[in-house]
Amino acid sequence: MFHRNPFQTIDRRDALRQLGAGFGTLGLAAMLAPSKPSLAAVPSEAAMNLNSPLAPKVPHFAPKAKHVIQLFMPGGPSQVDTFDFKPEIAKHAGERPELVDRKSLRNTKMGLMPSPYSFKQYGACGKFVSEIFPHVAEWVDDICFIHSMHTDTPEHASAMMMMNAGHLQPTRPSVGSWLVYGLGTENQDLPGFVAMSPRAQPRNKLANWGNAFLPGAYTGTYVNIHEMQPTQIMQDLKNTWLPKLDQRQQADLLTRLNQIDLERQRYDPQLEASIQTMEMAFRMQFAVPDAFDTSDESKETLEMYGDSEYAKGCLLARRLVERGVRMVQLSHSIDGYDIAWDTGHNDIVNGHRKLAEACDQGIAALLKDLKQRGLLEETLVVWGGEFGRAPTSEGQKGRDHDHYGFTTWMAGGGVKGGISFGATDEFGLTAVENRVHVHDLHATILYLMGLDHERLTYRYSGRDYRLTDVHGRVVHEIIA
Amino acid sequence: MNNDPSKNSLAIVLLSINSVRFPAPGIHLFLRALFFATGLCLHAWILADDPASPLVEKPTFTSEQIEFFESRIRPLLVQHCYECHSTDAIKLQAGLYVDSREGLLKGGESGAAVELGKPEKSLLIAAVKYDGYEMPPSRKLEAKEIEALTRWVEMGAPWPEVTSAPGSTKMEGKQDWSQFDWEAARQSHWAWKPIECPAAPPEFAASAGSIVNPIDGFVIAGRAQVGLREAPPASLHILARRIYIDLLGIPPTPDQLHAFIQAASKDRAMAIRSLIDELLASPLYGQRWGRYWLDVARFSDGRGGFLEGDKPLEDAWKYRDWVVNALNSDHPVNDFLRLQIAGDLTGNYSDAIATGFFALGPIYQSDGGDPDSIAQSRAETLDDRVDVLTRGLLGVTGSCARCHDHKFDPIPQQDYYSLAGIFHNSATQSLPLAPRDVVERYNAYKKAVDELNKKIKSAKKKPNKSKEEESTAERNSDTAEEPSPIAQWERELAELEKNAPPALDSAHALQDTGSEDMKIALRGNLLKTGEIAPRRFLRILAGAEPVVFRNGSGRAELAEAIVDPRNPLTARVFVNRIWRHHFGEGLVRTPSNFGTLGEKPTHPELLDWLASEFVRQGWSLKALHRTIMNSATYQLGSDYNETSSQSDGENRYLWRMSPRRMDVEAWRDSLLSVTGELDPSLGGPSLDNIIDSKRRSLYAKVSRNGDVFHSDRFLRLFDFPLMRATVEQRPSSVVPQQYLFLMNSRFIMDRSKALVEHLHRISHSDIDRIRQVYNILFSRPPDAREEEIGTNFLSAVRDGGSLSNWERYAQVLLGSNEFMFVR
Repeated sequence: MFHRNPFQTIDRRDALRQLGAGFGTLGLAAMLAPSKPSLAAVPSEAAMNLNSPLAPKVPHFAPKAKHVIQLFMPGGPSQVDTFDFKPEIAKHAGERPELVDRKSLRNTKMGLMPSPYSFKQYGACGKFVSEIFPHVAEWVDDICFIHSMHTDTPEHASAMMMMNAGHLQPTRPSVGSWLVYGLGTENQDLPGFVAMSPRAQPRNKLANWGNAFLPGAYTGTYVNIHEMQPTQIMQDLKNTWLPKLDQRQQADLLTRLNQIDLERQRYDPQLEASIQTMEMAFRMQFAVPDAFDTSDESKETLEMYGDSEYAKGCLLARRLVERGVRMVQLSHSIDGYDIAWDTGHNDIVNGHRKLAEACDQGIAALLKDLKQRGLLEETLVVWGGEFGRAPTSEGQKGRDHDHYGFTTWMAGGGVKGGISFGATDEFGLTAVENRVHVHDLHATILYLMGLDHERLTYRYSGRDYRLTDVHGRVVHEIIA
Repeated sequence: MNNDPSKNSLAIVLLSINSVRFPAPGIHLFLRALFFATGLCLHAWILADDPASPLVEKPTFTSEQIEFFESRIRPLLVQHCYECHSTDAIKLQAGLYVDSREGLLKGGESGAAVELGKPEKSLLIAAVKYDGYEMPPSRKLEAKEIEALTRWVEMGAPWPEVTSAPGSTKMEGKQDWSQFDWEAARQSHWAWKPIECPAAPPEFAASAGSIVNPIDGFVIAGRAQVGLREAPPASLHILARRIYIDLLGIPPTPDQLHAFIQAASKDRAMAIRSLIDELLASPLYGQRWGRYWLDVARFSDGRGGFLEGDKPLEDAWKYRDWVVNALNSDHPVNDFLRLQIAGDLTGNYSDAIATGFFALGPIYQSDGGDPDSIAQSRAETLDDRVDVLTRGLLGVTGSCARCHDHKFDPIPQQDYYSLAGIFHNSATQSLPLAPRDVVERYNAYKKAVDELNKKIKSAKKKPNKSKEEESTAERNSDTAEEPSPIAQWERELAELEKNAPPALDSAHALQDTGSEDMKIALRGNLLKTGEIAPRRFLRILAGAEPVVFRNGSGRAELAEAIVDPRNPLTARVFVNRIWRHHFGEGLVRTPSNFGTLGEKPTHPELLDWLASEFVRQGWSLKALHRTIMNSATYQLGSDYNETSSQSDGENRYLWRMSPRRMDVEAWRDSLLSVTGELDPSLGGPSLDNIIDSKRRSLYAKVSRNGDVFHSDRFLRLFDFPLMRATVEQRPSSVVPQQYLFLMNSRFIMDRSKALVEHLHRISHSDIDRIRQVYNILFSRPPDAREEEIGTNFLSAVRDGGSLSNWERYAQVLLGSNEFMFVR
């Protein structure tokens, strides 16, 4: 009956499994397990032996994707100047048709402003893309554009929380934390969830990748691309006092003393876990710098990505998912601004062009690189901001926030390529066809990763929390 | 016979357990607990064949099963069936009610809709599968939904008990609270019932275990029911370390340990008693136990980011010090709570600091001025106040009634807004800490200074209007006989400032702003309001018609309602938290949720005895510690026992003391203490980077999101919780980053060096130092094997690195499990 060691406490799940439980499903048992936070899914054999909160877990059902790379565009990129082509705007320039006469944040009374950029068709699907994204445009046949996104607020901080944690206030776990909680991670020598940005952290900082009430093991590890040194990605990663061999001797001594203690405590499982964790930390010291050191990349690869800071993040994102990291959140930022795309208030022409230039080539290279390595199939790439921008003008050359409709695109990871799903009205303000709320996007991301958003729950302060709260619909239409 | 193979196989397992006489009676119990715990109420299920079984007549379901029903099943029934099959149906179809369990069991014209445990025989399941009947007629349910219904029938159709309570039709559609039978509801759940001091349990034979005080009687009675044997008492070494770390958060020094063991060899009980008394009198006690309360108070130094105005709470530390002092002086807990709710209203100005309990909570803001967002932020802020009040002090999840009536407990949405209304009339302010006349004098001074400054400023500005005017002004001033008014004002200002009263100290505190009731916010939206919610206490605790609060915001009256001895929750919740910190788990294992979804007490009578005793002893926390710690139960050994662990792995019956990992504060303080570096001084502003300080971890500056200060980073690494909402219990996780800290951080390196220096000062040989260091760190001598391992490691020749052998060895010992655990 006891396959591990004779003294270990038998737990419920063990017992159920060993009794050959023929009733219901174990998923139910796990969900209904009392007092302890219910695990999302039944841990695999490996996970149970590892005893680690980060060990890989079996998903609810067969996943389409194993990793997520979120290319987060804080500040709100304008849909009608990037991927949601609306020729009708130009025909009604300066007018304020009823369709766009809606309250925006500042309630401007200005009329429609045509996009300053030209659009051109690309790919077999003939998708219109703005001139500021020429590299990404080459990949439209692999991309699924969702033009009918909408969210609950036109304010940055709250909308960013909605996009990254499913709630308007910074009180809930981030998407990546939920994923690692539900699935564990594949490489025990690296963090399961890495958040990166060049220079400025996105507004709300840690809350975008925080674990909130989930156990600390599920928090995102933040890396600033600008200041990055591979040996200092994580706190206290490098031992500056001892060479590796001497450190190993110390680790062995610690294990020996802990083993003696473990014997004395009759194999308390809690103690056993800590011995394994120490070994994991020992390996991390070397695995982490290796993952972040790009000096072994070929010249062609480096050239393909280009030398922007965001592109470096894209390259690191590939290296991380290649090594089994569950989720990478790469936020855009230039000029140290925490809501970069918000320069769109004053000046779409220069602001958006500059921002697109800083990320376009890197993103295209990431898609190409993932595809070449056969990683795109199992990696879901998600691009988008917390909301979009209105087709009407604010001041002379800018646009105000628009949470009624905006564009997010996804690629790889089991979504259909070369399609555009949902639509905004003829001017691009409001999502009118096949509307997709942020909760629906989250439900879909979890689904692609093999998780049922209604069953991925965590008990906290007297109730079971979900990423999607009481909402969310999986957008099956876009799944390949 | 039934044909369900899975059911048969389980029945066989159970039968064999029942028929074979196991040497360990605990196994049967364990399996029973197991099946109950996993939500598969096996007994009810198997016995469902037997109509006489009491379990069928009066089913008991776990809270998990009820939740499964509430989250998966009831919504289905409401959405798809109620229109035609409920008491609300305009025209009932087929005589079938699906809005009660009885209705489903009784069935309609075609017979019972549900056969417990037998989905394949249940009409309900057949109908939703479109097998014979086709229900709901509009469209077939999704496979997932059918599967959920099937599982639910398999479980024995769990349904919340409250529906069968007299007068209660709760959660059957919209509840008419004016008709609700509050008295019946109060009798339906243990936590709403009044605290009744139980008689001490019957005496037990000495063989059953040792009895020092009534606690032991209750615990032994519990264990006797299930045939569990208690662990032997803890050794004196272990007990000393346990008591020190428990009360002070640091281990005993070798001298303290020695003195205790000497005393205990004469009279064990007496030595323990005096040690507890001695430590309770130490100021280090308040620093240790104050921190536990700060978790409940979700205490932080502010800077919650954009959505909270990003403001630091400069005076937050005053509330922290107030808590520490209150505990050190054994301030009666009822008054301790009273002041935290309404201290600003006592007339004693320094009491206002205590309201930091609420005032230091998050104040959510809008990031742009959108009216919906402003309302949402306001609602979120009020929710924080109601949440910390209800979960923190009452163990009730009041916030669940913010958008709709509470789904599980009898808390109408109106009751939520009755409480929220109190905070709607209480502003968070920086209050001056001085008697009124001093404040008035200071304000008058401030006003005079401001006015003069304003006059001077505007007079100086005037000449700038134009070049011409300026030059005229200059000429004028050059030639003017009479002194400029500016000079006069400046003289006055200098005079005022010379005699300036000292600046006023201030604290974050609540202050009444009005006396206006709120209206119910429909679906939690403050912009869409419903009926008025008079400010008053929760009806489940205060009865159908609670006294309406009329005095200002109503906080003073609220405070009295909280500490009213007739309130069944406050004392229970408080003693349970204290118990939890002594034993690792509470008697109720959901310390902030005593509601129907919380866990039931493992020892209900003991809980009530402790609560009554606590009130009887004048709400003295120190007396409570003494009662608990002098019990034989507290002094049990923590030895693992295979048999007991198989029956009761979670130690619900307290057959031993559960070993525990120290929290981050105790662990860091202990590291500084064993190296002789700890600075135990009391109070003062919080420290940005606690890791560079020698002060106690309690004094770390902590931000709301745990992302601003260096201190945050260190604390969060070791499970320090997010101070966004009241903390029910801390997780204890083991992650690699912690070991990176142990292996590579400057902090650990410095402690290792300090420890080695200390050892070299007090001792001259390696073997003696090894013995000393085991005593210092683990409160015990090393055994022969450990001495040998140490000697070998220290004598090895090494070629690299900048640490001495002793420093390497010390680092390993400081990072060991034994040091981190309390046993």
